[in-house]
Amino acid sequence: MIRNRVILLVEDNPNDVELTLRAFEKSNVNREIVVALDGEQAIQYLFSTGPHAGRDPRRMPEVVLLDMKLPKIDGLGVLRRIRADERTRRLPVVILTSSKEEKDVMSSYDLGANSFVRKPVDFADFVDAAKHLGIYWLTVNEPPSSGQ
Amino acid sequence: MKPRILIVDDSLTVRMDLGEAFDAAGFTNTLCSTLSAARRVLSAGSFDLIILDVLLPDGDGIEFLREIRTTPSTAGAPVMLLSSEGEVRDRVRGLNTGADDYVGKPYDKSYVVARARELLRKKDPPSESLKSKTVLVIDDSPTFREELKSVLESSGYSVVTAGTGEDGLRAAVDSRPAVIVVDGVLPGIDGSTVIRRIRADAVLRSTPCILLTASEERSGELRALEAGADAYVRKEEDTQIILARVTAVLRSAGAPSTVASTASLLGPKRILTVDDSLTYLHEVAAQLREEGYDVVPAHSGEEALELLSVQTVDCILLDLVMPGLSGQETCRRIKGSVAWRDIPLIMHTALEEQGAMIEGINAGADDYIAKSSDSEVLCARVRAQLRRKQFEDENRNIREQLLQKELEVSVAHSARELAEARAAFVEELERKNSELEAFSYSVSHDLRAPLRSIDGFSQLLLQDNADKLDPKSQDYLRRVCESAQRMGALIDDLLSLARVGRADLRRESVDLSSIARAVFGELQKKEPDRQMTLCVADNLMGDADKGLMRVVFDNLLGNAWKFTAKIHQPRIEVGAERQEGGTVFFVRDNGAGFDMSYAESLFRPFQRLHNESEFAGTGIGLATVHRVIDRHCGRIWASSAVDQGATFYFTIPPARPGGHE
Repeated sequence: MIRNRVILLVEDNPNDVELTLRAFEKSNVNREIVVALDGEQAIQYLFSTGPHAGRDPRRMPEVVLLDMKLPKIDGLGVLRRIRADERTRRLPVVILTSSKEEKDVMSSYDLGANSFVRKPVDFADFVDAAKHLGIYWLTVNEPPSSGQ
Repeated sequence: MKPRILIVDDSLTVRMDLGEAFDAAGFTNTLCSTLSAARRVLSAGSFDLIILDVLLPDGDGIEFLREIRTTPSTAGAPVMLLSSEGEVRDRVRGLNTGADDYVGKPYDKSYVVARARELLRKKDPPSESLKSKTVLVIDDSPTFREELKSVLESSGYSVVTAGTGEDGLRAAVDSRPAVIVVDGVLPGIDGSTVIRRIRADAVLRSTPCILLTASEERSGELRALEAGADAYVRKEEDTQIILARVTAVLRSAGAPSTVASTASLLGPKRILTVDDSLTYLHEVAAQLREEGYDVVPAHSGEEALELLSVQTVDCILLDLVMPGLSGQETCRRIKGSVAWRDIPLIMHTALEEQGAMIEGINAGADDYIAKSSDSEVLCARVRAQLRRKQFEDENRNIREQLLQKELEVSVAHSARELAEARAAFVEELERKNSELEAFSYSVSHDLRAPLRSIDGFSQLLLQDNADKLDPKSQDYLRRVCESAQRMGALIDDLLSLARVGRADLRRESVDLSSIARAVFGELQKKEPDRQMTLCVADNLMGDADKGLMRVVFDNLLGNAWKFTAKIHQPRIEVGAERQEGGTVFFVRDNGAGFDMSYAESLFRPFQRLHNESEFAGTGIGLATVHRVIDRHCGRIWASSAVDQGATFYFTIPPARPGGHE
């Protein structure tokens, strides 16, 4: 897996997309953020199919920020596909969602999520969370090596 | 094995007579003429039954009975007293000393044998399988009896035989046969009569009967069927054909059903006659004894009542006019007793006493008979009363069985209805629960998303475009943010309240002290600048759900923290005290407190006692705490006064073993 210096944000709500982008911007996370608006687009991006057919499939994002409620294929469905495929099974995935229902947290971890973050209502808190996410996943964390 | 019987009587005639009768009935006899001989015999071997005379040359039979009852080896042996001392007081004395039965002399020998069999049956009831294979053969020809007996026995049946219809009926009562084979022509009552009597007896009526007849006419068959025979065989036929009929009849009859609890009509009966005239008493007793009844003569109403208290009788013949207790009064007492009122009672009266007789009937007598009537009428009346009594018993049994069945059916029915109602209730509950879960889930996801946008974009405007906004616009935007955040908090609290009601309760021993300290640590982390004295008692243990207890302390300590914000030296105490009925935990602060007149509404959702500008809050926290304590079957209450701080108390009763919450 080659480090791509890209974050994949899977989020269907355009307001949330905008707020997330602004939150990362404000917390000085300087990465290219690729946005997928539903589960299908996320999978097409990761496996270089459909509109992303030309993409080098070895270049994986550093982290995937995955919403749970998504059109077509939902967050947990996407996570299942990621973990089932040899190319992506070690990819760091952070569930980023509105809910903190125990059921959601449990099934996310059961399916192999690396982290579970609840989007706070207070934007200041959200910026704070984005900052922590950036520092941890893009700096502190050591991703799986590319030469498998 | 033959039953062994000991007969003790000084009269040679009685010994010979009873010896023969019991011999013929298949008993092994030992005869003794004195008590000393009986004592020797008893110490040498055991007996199934003892028949004992009362007056003996070397002593009193009743004293000997006392000896028998107090000697361990003989204490359980059935004893029948046989005595010419037929007086009521002798009977009372004998029965009170432990006799199983008391038969007066002169006796009817078949009555004595039948009683003996009853006593043995009580002691040792025959097994079902043996009983069901017994065939009773009633025929006056010994040759034919033996021939049929050997044929039946070679096919595995056990056979009882009788030479007359009367003997046959008695044998039927004793042996309760599976099938009766009876000859149509007999010396006394004929075969049809035997079958008719069998059919009239509640216990025996379902016994299949095969009638043998010599007649070749159709009328013979008709008569047999009319009498109630199940099958009909010509006597000239081979005995093998009779065997085949027996087998076929048994097959179609299935298992014979006998009402075991009802005494057979044809069994031995005891009759109590009450009359102040000795002559008349003896006359009636003689007539009844001829019919094979055991007769107990009593000279007065008082004597009659005394006897009834020690020995049951099957029928009472009562004189109306007597000195002392009158017939009317005696009748009233007998009919007023729960134990005796079902015994058929016939008033016995001279014709000129008709008016008094009507009064007797009014006192509860079942029938009346004039003293001038001849013995046949008397015996017929007694028989009729005995039969009536038996039918009543049988009807009662049937009614009770029906009632029992009805009861069982209705119990089963209501149990089923209950189970169905429960199942429907559980299903409804599950449906409601899953609806609620879907609702909560939707609230959690979908209601919060727009709030994030409202707050987020307002904050972005405030941060990025502050220079383009006048102070008033900035203030408005801040209010938008605050409202959005407040609504977010409300949604979170509501979800928490719902979750607390739904979550599974997992009880364990929980350290409440450490939970309180952890919650306090988090509060301090949020507001590190606040000075607060915290006092948590050590080792506060509760049998509770750990997660839910965390919710309790989050809210109670959160409140205490919040309401002490304006106090100079804030202090929070967590502890427990022993009160009547168990441990009471408490969380105490010295904060703003509240007016106790509002204490009622404290634990209701959305109830707030302070306005938002004073202290922020959603008004759901205490409702949530209340629900948690409720789910632990505990109690929560508060005590406070304005500006005097508040104390919240709660209990967590230990979980009932195996109980559900």
